Amino acid sequence: MSDTVSNTPGIAGEAESTAVQNGGLLRVLGPAHIWALGVGIVLVGEYMGWNFAVGKGGAYAALIACWFAGILYSCVAMLDSEVTSTVAAAGGQYTQAKHIIGPLMAFNVGLYLVFAYTMLEAANAITVGFLVETVAGMSGHEGLDPRPFIVLSIMFLAWLNYRGVLATLTFSLVITAIAFSAILILFLATSPVFGESPLRHVELMTDLPYGWLGVLAAMHFGLWYYLGIEGTCQAAEEVRSPARSLPFGTLAGVMTLAIAATLTWYVCVGLMPWEYLGQSGVPLFDAARLSGSTSLAVLLGIGTLFATLASANGCINDASRAWFAMGRDHYLPSWFGAVHPAYRTPYRSIIFLVPIALIFALGAPLDQVITFSILSGLLGYTFMPLNMMLFRRKWPLDSIKRGYEHPFHPIPAITLLCLCGITYFAVFLGYGTQLVAMIAFYIVVSLWFHFWRYRFVYRAAQFTMPWPKPKGY
Amino acid sequence: MLIWNLAEYVAWALSAVLGIHIVIDWLRTDSRYSEEQLTSSHEGQIEAMTEQHEL
Amino acid sequence: MSRYTPPPQGKLGQIFDVLVLLILTVGALYIPLWLGLAGSDQIHEAVDAPSWESLQQNAAMIEQWGKLGFADAEAAAPLITARFDYSFSIPALIAVIVTVVGYYIMMLKLSEKEYREVIAEKFGKE
Repeated sequence: MSDTVSNTPGIAGEAESTAVQNGGLLRVLGPAHIWALGVGIVLVGEYMGWNFAVGKGGAYAALIACWFAGILYSCVAMLDSEVTSTVAAAGGQYTQAKHIIGPLMAFNVGLYLVFAYTMLEAANAITVGFLVETVAGMSGHEGLDPRPFIVLSIMFLAWLNYRGVLATLTFSLVITAIAFSAILILFLATSPVFGESPLRHVELMTDLPYGWLGVLAAMHFGLWYYLGIEGTCQAAEEVRSPARSLPFGTLAGVMTLAIAATLTWYVCVGLMPWEYLGQSGVPLFDAARLSGSTSLAVLLGIGTLFATLASANGCINDASRAWFAMGRDHYLPSWFGAVHPAYRTPYRSIIFLVPIALIFALGAPLDQVITFSILSGLLGYTFMPLNMMLFRRKWPLDSIKRGYEHPFHPIPAITLLCLCGITYFAVFLGYGTQLVAMIAFYIVVSLWFHFWRYRFVYRAAQFTMPWPKPKGY
Repeated sequence: MLIWNLAEYVAWALSAVLGIHIVIDWLRTDSRYSEEQLTSSHEGQIEAMTEQHEL
Repeated sequence: MSRYTPPPQGKLGQIFDVLVLLILTVGALYIPLWLGLAGSDQIHEAVDAPSWESLQQNAAMIEQWGKLGFADAEAAAPLITARFDYSFSIPALIAVIVTVVGYYIMMLKLSEKEYREVIAEKFGKE
């Protein structure tokens, strides 16, 4: 391997390699933060939203969808870890696309990220409002206005993010750990291991109400169990040792979520008839109530709140970094490419995305917002296998140093592509119009970028990795 | 119930305080530093110093 | 290969570009809503005088419905009888497939064109 070009991920070239640490993002995060960023964004999926998969196809369909989505995300984590450990820069998949496929793809990927996360953030804020309203209702106060709480949660997290990434993710780490423990405690408390169990699987489980078509349809919300885990690599520029931390944190995150998802499913279907579960707003909170223990209900209520906050927090972090990276490359107005000199955060992007999140959190229905988020995510996952195949073709294994090499190429990439196809079909079954509207949006935006916006972009400056020339060019 | 009405106002007030704090700091930062300085970051530049790992 | 120097963009142009993006985004989300095409419809089979037996609920289910606050079959019936309509037309499916695949092909083609320019300028022509 002596002829291999040494690769210090991200050294830009002659000029930049001498640059002192001025005006950049701060490198302070360890693997635990990466785990918290990934799991923190996603864990809310176990507290709300996943159960729509039960409604789409019945209890068993939701479990099958959960595991197939788990396979999909294992592939995502493998592919993503390899590329991210090599292309470590803020913007994650955006930067990957720029180096491997091309500017237009990068622009699209950047938008997928920003929309997937901003919409998820809006959905979380809506859930916080709903939860406060529910608690107020339980204490006998009807007609509480949820809007101040929606606005407050967005403003507070934006403020945290504005102030600095370490405090933000440490906050995330703590509340994610609490929300995750709440799920484990609920499982242990209701499981038959410790005496009397309220679980009634034998009586409550039914056959597949829609047959196998329902299993397919459930894949739509099956993604919700894990949606956003790939956000770990947005923080690449702020991780102390990206080549090690990113694959480790991401893969640990997927495993954590697969376990949490299965436990959540097991407890919930053992307590609720599937017709109710499939339409519940806060399934884990309901499950805790049904277990008959007040302290469990309080714990899961707090867990729901923390999970939504951790998720929204990670979303602001990721969306703003993707927006920032696009501004820095002039894909978007360069004004957004600024870093706060004291806090070292992409402060203008954070500020800009606040009103957008507010527009959708206060004005759009929850299922719309969630679908917009899932679709953007799905488009992003479709990009990954294409990205990986071109990455291995343009830079074969022995041409540059990779922090992590995923095994069995190209099986994971092909598996991922097939699972994405199935999920498109599932979305088509329920939300065909949105799917078309969404693709139409990306087509229009792509043409706008190619024929107008791209003129403001420096050509060679986009390629910042110290890699040799790609094969075939 | 009074406490919930109060909570609504407190939430509005807190949101406003946080929002104003961000905006003030933003305007201060923009006026104190030059645009070149603020947008001087480069993709992955920090790796250049902290991670000189060779193959 | 001469280096490409992009024109500078003024403040006004920057603001305009952001506005264009914003309008497109909000449009993509709200147009399906305005046209009333959003979401998947649920069909409710109307059941006359629903009872737990006619809704095919067993004792354990009835107990859990009760704990969830549904005292009688009447209250739970709308939830239990709600079903999604998964029927679809083949032409619509083909239209969607063509749109998605077409989108990716277009994007990959245009990206490739831009990418060759980047590589040519960065590494120089062989």
